[in-house]
Amino acid sequence: MPRLKIAAVVTEYRRNCHAQHMIDRLLWGYPWQGHHHHPQMDLVSLYVDQLAEHDLSRNRAERFPKMEIYPTIAEALTLGGKELAVDGVVIIAEHGRYPRNEKGQMLWPRYEFFMQVVDVFRRSGRSVPVFSDKHLSWNWDWAKEMVEISKELDFPFLAGSSVPVNRRLPAVEIPRDAEVEEVVGIAPGGVDGYDIHNLEAIQCMAERRMGGETGVVSMHALRGDSVLDALGKGSWDAGGCDPELFEACLCRSQTLDPAREGFNHILTQVKDFPKLLSERAIAYRYEHADGMKATMLLLEGVIHDFTFAARIKGRRDPLSLLFYIDSQNPRNFFNPQINAIEQMFLTGKATYPVERTLLTTGLTAAGVESLWLGQKHIETPHLRVRYQPTAESTYWRS
Amino acid sequence: MPRPKIAAIVTEYSPNSHAQHIVDRFLWGYSWRGHHHLPPVDLVSIYVDQADEGDLSRDRATRFPAMRIYPSIAEALTCGGEDLAVDGVVLIGEHGRYPLNEKGQRLYPRYEFFMQIVEVFRRSGRSAPLFSDKHLSWKWEWAKEMVDVSKELGFAFIAGSSTPLNRRFPPVEIPRDAKVEEIVCVATGDADSYDIHALEAMQSMVERRRGGETGVVAMQALRGDAALECLARDSWESGGLDRELFEACLCRSHMLMPPREGFNHILPRLEDIPRLLDGSALAYRFEYADGMKATMILVEGLVHDRTFAARLKGQPEPISLLMSIDSFNPRNFFTPQVNAMEQMFLTGRPTFPIERTLLTTGLTAAGVESLWLGQKRIETPHLAIRYQPTEESTFWRN
Repeated sequence: MPRLKIAAVVTEYRRNCHAQHMIDRLLWGYPWQGHHHHPQMDLVSLYVDQLAEHDLSRNRAERFPKMEIYPTIAEALTLGGKELAVDGVVIIAEHGRYPRNEKGQMLWPRYEFFMQVVDVFRRSGRSVPVFSDKHLSWNWDWAKEMVEISKELDFPFLAGSSVPVNRRLPAVEIPRDAEVEEVVGIAPGGVDGYDIHNLEAIQCMAERRMGGETGVVSMHALRGDSVLDALGKGSWDAGGCDPELFEACLCRSQTLDPAREGFNHILTQVKDFPKLLSERAIAYRYEHADGMKATMLLLEGVIHDFTFAARIKGRRDPLSLLFYIDSQNPRNFFNPQINAIEQMFLTGKATYPVERTLLTTGLTAAGVESLWLGQKHIETPHLRVRYQPTAESTYWRS
Repeated sequence: MPRPKIAAIVTEYSPNSHAQHIVDRFLWGYSWRGHHHLPPVDLVSIYVDQADEGDLSRDRATRFPAMRIYPSIAEALTCGGEDLAVDGVVLIGEHGRYPLNEKGQRLYPRYEFFMQIVEVFRRSGRSAPLFSDKHLSWKWEWAKEMVDVSKELGFAFIAGSSTPLNRRFPPVEIPRDAKVEEIVCVATGDADSYDIHALEAMQSMVERRRGGETGVVAMQALRGDAALECLARDSWESGGLDRELFEACLCRSHMLMPPREGFNHILPRLEDIPRLLDGSALAYRFEYADGMKATMILVEGLVHDRTFAARLKGQPEPISLLMSIDSFNPRNFFTPQVNAMEQMFLTGRPTFPIERTLLTTGLTAAGVESLWLGQKRIETPHLAIRYQPTEESTFWRN
């Protein structure tokens, strides 16, 4: 098989943006399974929407003459010709100067880029695998349309956060025959940025429960004091979450702020949170169609990592873990994501279901909507997204 | 069973000292398996050798009236009475103002503290399990005597670094039937302090090879240019090492310094290494009685973590891994070490073999000696230490 040709379509390419971390890895390789791995494919074209102040794309094009910068997405895909001339597309629309809407959503042009990509596919009568970074779009209808087009044109489509493909401590999955009653995920960050990482973390675990995914029927987002009130309520039915799941998450964190400076392992209490939080706390409380309850918490300042806990029917102890995202340079947490993209390009099959990211995209938008409506409980009949997980685990174990 | 009573004997109890991280965990507990675990033992007495500026022991004694500070080691062990009155002892001789000898070894009073402890054991006609932090002593003969005394009096004794007990990426062991030809560890730090962590990391892996441990017959330490020259020679026989093992270590690092700033994953070439180093490189080359060759390389600045690779006979690919030490606050890497002590106190059995740390103590002293003698290769007949590993793995997997 000749080496595959890949096009990258990005918003901007500067130091420490997602595009740099991902594309630099395609160009220079990255460590994988104890080797410096060079992807068996060539990045031949690049479209950059905004030349940042310290743009790196031109520097990279000089160092890698095989990679040419094109002024449009269509040209990047056709290599300046008439028809599609690449074997895979990486869309990274994260970072850059784009407006926010009235709901606070950053209007990353993911849908717009995707539509220009599929326009070339349609015109060429041929499609190739596409990866799209983070949630599919800020707009649910657009996200849905993107997935529908990928089915219509029948190309493998992969998207989402790097959290699901990273290491887990401990290295566990929810057993395929487990009935899951309730799940809790805790992460740092804010709405429309880190909620998607946490929702993807929760979803990549929960999708393996008995029966697979059935979709989500309602969403209730809380902000600030109402989050702390909810945490004091003692159960889902009372308006909160299972305290044992919440505590399991805190106890899986490796960065739990001890609340008293100079101490290490005092289990931080909710009453300490107000002085630790550096942003207002966020909770998304949502219910799956099969009855599973979920609470996604963003507690920036209390913790700085991603943890998860699940109440499994018939088990006394919750299952809990840390999603290990090593934030040290050179940010190896991008490695398994690039590897998953490579696998898709090489096999022609999506490495994990895009329906996961369709659902988490919808959850992100529903959370934003619920906050916008004044922290109102909303029904989400559009989120009846049903799918089955991959047979094999796809997180980093090697 | 009544809760075991524990005495802590420490050099100093200052913020971020080993004593704080370890003793605070006994007092307040720590997160373990998704719970805030409170050790089922009572820390009832403490001796602090240097309790001046920054001392936390008095603060802790005020907060935990069950723990009393005693002015001597003997009184801490007898709780002010005549005879041994505790069921376990934690000895932490790390941090504090102690002199260096002419070879650059910090003269931590671990042996001296140990001898005062066993004096109480002897006089009471009863012993209790003992943990001693890091290497047993800067002096080989004393280390040997400590282990001999523990055998003579028949008490459980564990010691060493927290590295062997922490998580591994990936979570693997050397198979018990594997013949190991050569091993490499790439780590940070310098002689007589961080060498022990790297040596313990290596030893905790290789002790599981076919036949178990057979001891070490020779040591040569190299510093600066001589260490870098060793890296440039591509086989053990030519005075260097198996390059594939070295590269596997670099590729397992999560904190490999890229040779060009602003780039991420360029694998450094040999000629890039000198300018990436903070300080001089250090290599310990040592040979085991069963023929296995070992190279420990400390390259502070090139990496900031500890990685290991082994050449297994008959396997085309080396086995390689990162021995992960999560250095974020609250420094959870002390957690499995405290848990290993608790297990010993509860079961009365050592959690892992003291011979491992006897050997690594001897290797540390031999490395320092070789440097002192002008980087001379020395025979180490005294390090013919044979032992078998534990049946079960003891690294952090839950």
